[in-house]
Amino acid sequence: MSEPLLEVEDLRTQFFTEDGVVRAVDGISFTVNEGEIVGLVGESGAGKSVAASSIMRLVEQPGEIVGGEIRFKGETIFGLEDVERDGDGPPEKVPRDDMLSNAEVRERIRGREIAIIFQDPMESLNPVFTVGGQLREFIEINRDLPENEARDLAVHMLREVGIPEAEERYDDYPHQFSGGMRQRVLIAMALACEPSLIIADEPTTALDVTVEGQILDLVDDLQGKYDTSFIWVTHDMGVVAEICDRVNVMYLGEIVEQADVDSLFHDTQHPYTKALLNSIPRPDQSVGELNPIAGVMPEAINPPSGCRFHTRCPEAREVCTRTHPGCREVGDGDGPHRAACLKHEGVFNAGYVESESIENKTTGGFDVGLTEEGEADD
Amino acid sequence: MATQSESDDFLSEGSSSAQEAEEPEIEARVGWRYTLSQVKRDATAMAGLFVVGLMTLMATFSFVDAELFAFLAQFETFASVGVEKYWFAKHFWVSPIAEPQGSIQLLPPVGMENQFGAGTWAHPLGTDDRGRDILVRLVYGSRIAIEVGYISTAIGLVGGVLVGAIAGYYGGWTDDVLMRAAETLYAIPFLVLVLAFMAAFGRSLMFAMIGVGVASIPTFARLIRSRVVSVREEDYVEAAEAAGVRDRNIILRHVIPNSFAPVLVQGTLQVGYSILIVAGLSFLGFGVQPPTPSWGQMLSTSKDYMLQNVWFSIWPGLAILITVVGFNVFGDGLRDALDPRLKN
Repeated sequence: MSEPLLEVEDLRTQFFTEDGVVRAVDGISFTVNEGEIVGLVGESGAGKSVAASSIMRLVEQPGEIVGGEIRFKGETIFGLEDVERDGDGPPEKVPRDDMLSNAEVRERIRGREIAIIFQDPMESLNPVFTVGGQLREFIEINRDLPENEARDLAVHMLREVGIPEAEERYDDYPHQFSGGMRQRVLIAMALACEPSLIIADEPTTALDVTVEGQILDLVDDLQGKYDTSFIWVTHDMGVVAEICDRVNVMYLGEIVEQADVDSLFHDTQHPYTKALLNSIPRPDQSVGELNPIAGVMPEAINPPSGCRFHTRCPEAREVCTRTHPGCREVGDGDGPHRAACLKHEGVFNAGYVESESIENKTTGGFDVGLTEEGEADD
Repeated sequence: MATQSESDDFLSEGSSSAQEAEEPEIEARVGWRYTLSQVKRDATAMAGLFVVGLMTLMATFSFVDAELFAFLAQFETFASVGVEKYWFAKHFWVSPIAEPQGSIQLLPPVGMENQFGAGTWAHPLGTDDRGRDILVRLVYGSRIAIEVGYISTAIGLVGGVLVGAIAGYYGGWTDDVLMRAAETLYAIPFLVLVLAFMAAFGRSLMFAMIGVGVASIPTFARLIRSRVVSVREEDYVEAAEAAGVRDRNIILRHVIPNSFAPVLVQGTLQVGYSILIVAGLSFLGFGVQPPTPSWGQMLSTSKDYMLQNVWFSIWPGLAILITVVGFNVFGDGLRDALDPRLKN
């Protein structure tokens, strides 16, 4: 197999807040191959967007990438090495020599090699400049084209993403575009610089389902045409099924399951993924009632001990509160399928089978916190 | 019945405006044209705009006649055809600086009378202590006021916007250093600061302008910084960062234009304020030297002749008042026009 386009290894991004260190991304590893759409799925707060901006080195204060490695086309976007200091202190982590400088990342990577499409199409265009002008600016910066050629390309890209009368709409301001059209413009911006990888950070979340469908079709078409790889960040399993080749499911800063899209849906190996799938309506199964995941995700400042999902997991046992599972190969089918769950006794061998099942009081629904206290009084 | 017809009127008015709204021409709700159309709906702001326009026109005219012609007169080609300082005034009007032979001093305006005589149409606003025409000196004095207002405001605006935008965009210690420096400047009273500046560098008009400009930097810096701090968090700024746009271009093209509206308003108000300050300096004897006409200096001279001809004081005072009020109401109108919450 050829070298993957993007390799993320053990990436850790933390936010140093007054309340403590928020471990937003806590050791995730995944790869993106050429021409592939990779999903990054999880609830709000799972660390998906932070992971996405870490890849571009766009994490802002008080956040910081504290560990791991990001390699893109053989270049190191982020990498640390240990340097022994005099004295007894622990080794200090410093950027490796081959890590690209800030200026190099800005000039060579951002926009040119990796583009990002943001969540909110309403806010991602500058309201005081015309749509065409902004598109042209991005093309000029990243393709080194003179103004008139950049303009022609901008009009061409607007047409490509299905803006009617692109020539006339070029001089319109963002507020004269609908949400779906602005999202198309943002896609045009991302594609215009012909990057190898586009990170789409929940690009269809703000749109209604009809427009979402159109945009997904458009991305599918253009992806085939330009052979661009995508990292598709979303919380919507429906979108994942529609568009992704492989999926990473994130929970509280960690990847809990990693598989190609078919085996993820039909051969689910992690209780969290199962719970996510159960909480959305599925056209292929009829259910009487949807089964949402109980409770809310714990704070990333103080993640639960052991398996982080054990507080909400219907299959949690006593051992899960003690042992933290890494993400390991569990599949028996073809293709890699990794999951981080102790119930795969054959792989983890942590004593899950003998362990006592813990009663999660959270199975009731959303009023968890209240009932818990009431029961404690009894 | 009357109510009926009134409501009919109202309805017909409503429907006609609705028809206007249906015109195929889409009216953009951003940009200069829209802001101007908003200002046009505000009568006071229009009056302000009229004053601003008139004063600017007058100042431009006297600048050409005084400064530009004086500059051109240095060259043989122009001097040979008779171009000289105050060429226009000398040929078509009266010179604003020469003391005319035999003219009566301290004449009142047309239709008035005092111990020196009755006002004549030759000097519609009367004459000053040296028998010079007050009207022509007022017109040529506008140049100093407007020049000073615009240039010093431009200095303060450009400096303040850059300082404030850089401080707001980068935050952290950059912000601390720049804004603490600006606030130190802010803590010193305006006039004292300008006087100190002139004492250090010289008593010329140029240093008065620069002094007023520098002293107004903190106002602009604080104003734009507060906007930049929120604009820098906008997604389009992040999108520009993600596309590899340089910091300089992000600040100039994305951050400043989106933070500029309050600065524009403050700038308009500041012009009026600067005019007032420099007129005050002229009154105190700093700034432009006689015989060059300026409103503040006219006011200063006239205070000795108030009992003989009070109009000598009233006219320059009125000129300053009208100009400053004009800039202020225009600035207020601009603020209303640029504030989306006030639109209906």
